Amino acid sequence: MGRHVVCRVKDMMEGSRKIVVLEGRSIGIFHVKGEFYALKNSCPHQAAPLCVGTVTGMTLPSGPGEYLYGRDGEIVRCPWHGWEFDLLSGKSIYDPHRCLVKTYDVEVEKAEAESVSVETFAVQVEEEQVVVYI
Amino acid sequence: MSSTRIIDCDVHPYPKNRDEIRFYLKEPWKTRYTGSGRGFYGNPVHGSRLDANPPGGGPAGSDPIFLREQLIDEYGEKHAVLLPRAFCNLLPDPDFAAAIAAAYNDWLADTWLGKFNEDGVFKGSITIAHQDPSAAAKEIERWAGHPHFVQVMTDSGARAPFGQRQYYPIYEACSKYGLPLAIHPGTDGMGINVQPTPGYPTHYIEWHTCLSLGFQAHLVSFITEGVFERFPDFRVVLVEGGVSWLPALLWRLDAEYKALRYEVPWLKRKPSEYVRDHVRITSQPLERPEHDRHLLQVLEMMDAEHILMFSSDYPHWDFDSPRLAFPKLPEPLKQRIFYENAKAFYRL
Repeated sequence: MGRHVVCRVKDMMEGSRKIVVLEGRSIGIFHVKGEFYALKNSCPHQAAPLCVGTVTGMTLPSGPGEYLYGRDGEIVRCPWHGWEFDLLSGKSIYDPHRCLVKTYDVEVEKAEAESVSVETFAVQVEEEQVVVYI
Repeated sequence: MSSTRIIDCDVHPYPKNRDEIRFYLKEPWKTRYTGSGRGFYGNPVHGSRLDANPPGGGPAGSDPIFLREQLIDEYGEKHAVLLPRAFCNLLPDPDFAAAIAAAYNDWLADTWLGKFNEDGVFKGSITIAHQDPSAAAKEIERWAGHPHFVQVMTDSGARAPFGQRQYYPIYEACSKYGLPLAIHPGTDGMGINVQPTPGYPTHYIEWHTCLSLGFQAHLVSFITEGVFERFPDFRVVLVEGGVSWLPALLWRLDAEYKALRYEVPWLKRKPSEYVRDHVRITSQPLERPEHDRHLLQVLEMMDAEHILMFSSDYPHWDFDSPRLAFPKLPEPLKQRIFYENAKAFYRL
C-alpha cells in the first residue's frame, strides 16, 4: 500500500476535484462537503475517464411521475455514457452491487515540514494535507 | 487490439459554428439559416462525450486535429466514415432543405475531406434532402466523382417508408454511381416527419430506444416493395439503428412471405435473402445482454460475419470503444466486423 501526499487541503476547495497519476494509475480525488474521496479514473463500462465527468446530484427513488432531486455534489456522471456513480462509495446508482468503480482510502493528515536545509529554523505545522493510500 | 484493423463507419464531424455552413449558402437561405438542431428529444444529461470538446474551443467533433488524436490515432483507425448532421430532413421547404444539404457537402469537401485529409483517412457521406428526390439525385450526381465521398446519407425520419416509389430517383442515382445509401437516426417525428411510435413518447429514453423501429419499417419496405429487384445494384447501410432485432424481424417477414407471396410477386427470393447482397448494419449502439454468449448467438443468427460493420458514433454520448464495445470475438469474425466488411462494401 503506497502512501501519496497529493496536495494541501487548502488547495482543494469544497466541490473541486483533482486527477493525479499514482503508481501508474489515474485517480480522481474529490472534495465533497468536507470529506475527501478517491476513485479510479476509469469507468467499469467502457473505461472512459470517469473522474472528468460532471459532479452533480441525482433524482432520488420516487413514485411514478414524481421527481425528487437530491444528493447534490455527491454523484459523478461518466463523461461518455452518463452513468451515475456515488462519489462516497464508488458504486453505480443503477446497480451498486455489480457495477462499481474502485475506491482508495483518503486521509487528511498533518503536513510534514516541506524542506530541510542546513540552517535550521523553528518549524510550525500550520495546515493539513490530503494523502491517498492505494 | 492493436493488430485489428479498423474502419469506423459512423463518425460525426461538426462545423465550428453556423457561419462555416452559411459561407456556402446563397440568399435567401444564407440569412435564414440558423443552424438549429433537431429541436426536442435532447439528451437530458449530455449529447456528446464531455472529454471530446476540443481544447481549442468549438463543439465536440469540430476539430479534425483533435479528432485524429482522440479517435483515429488512439484506436489506430484506418478510415473514418463521416456523417455530418445537417438536420435538413425535417424542413417543410424542400428548396431550403436542399440548399442546406448542398452547403454541408461543400463544407465537408473543402474541410474534412479536403485540407485535413492528405492521407485519405476520412471518407464522407453526401447529405441529401429526401423531401425532393429529384433534387437529391442531382446533388448525388454533383459529388459522384469525388474521391472521398463513399455514400449518400439521409435521416431515418421520413413521411413514408423508404421502399416507396417517390424515392426512386435517389436510388437510381445511388445505383448509377455505385454509392450506398446510409440511413442514420435523426429528425424522426420532427418537422414534417412522422414518429415511428404510436404518437410521441414522453422521454428521451423512450424516443432513443425506439429509433430502431423506424429502421425496421424502412428495411421491410425496401424488401417488400421490390427496391432491390428494381435496382439490382442498390445498397443500403443502416447506421445506428440497432443490431440484434434483425434476426427476429427477418424470421417474421419470411414466415409471412409463405402465405402472402401473392401480394409481392416481384420478390424472386425469400425476403431475408436480399440482406446479404444489399444491406449492411453498423454496430453502435451494440446491445449487450447480460451474457456475452447470447450476443454471440445473435451475431451468428444475423449473419454478422457478412453484414455487420463496426462504428463508434464518436463524439456522441453513446460512443462505443473499439476495445470494449464487443465481447471477445473469434478472430476471423472480428476482422470482418471491424475491417473487412466495410472495406469491401465501400470499396476502400
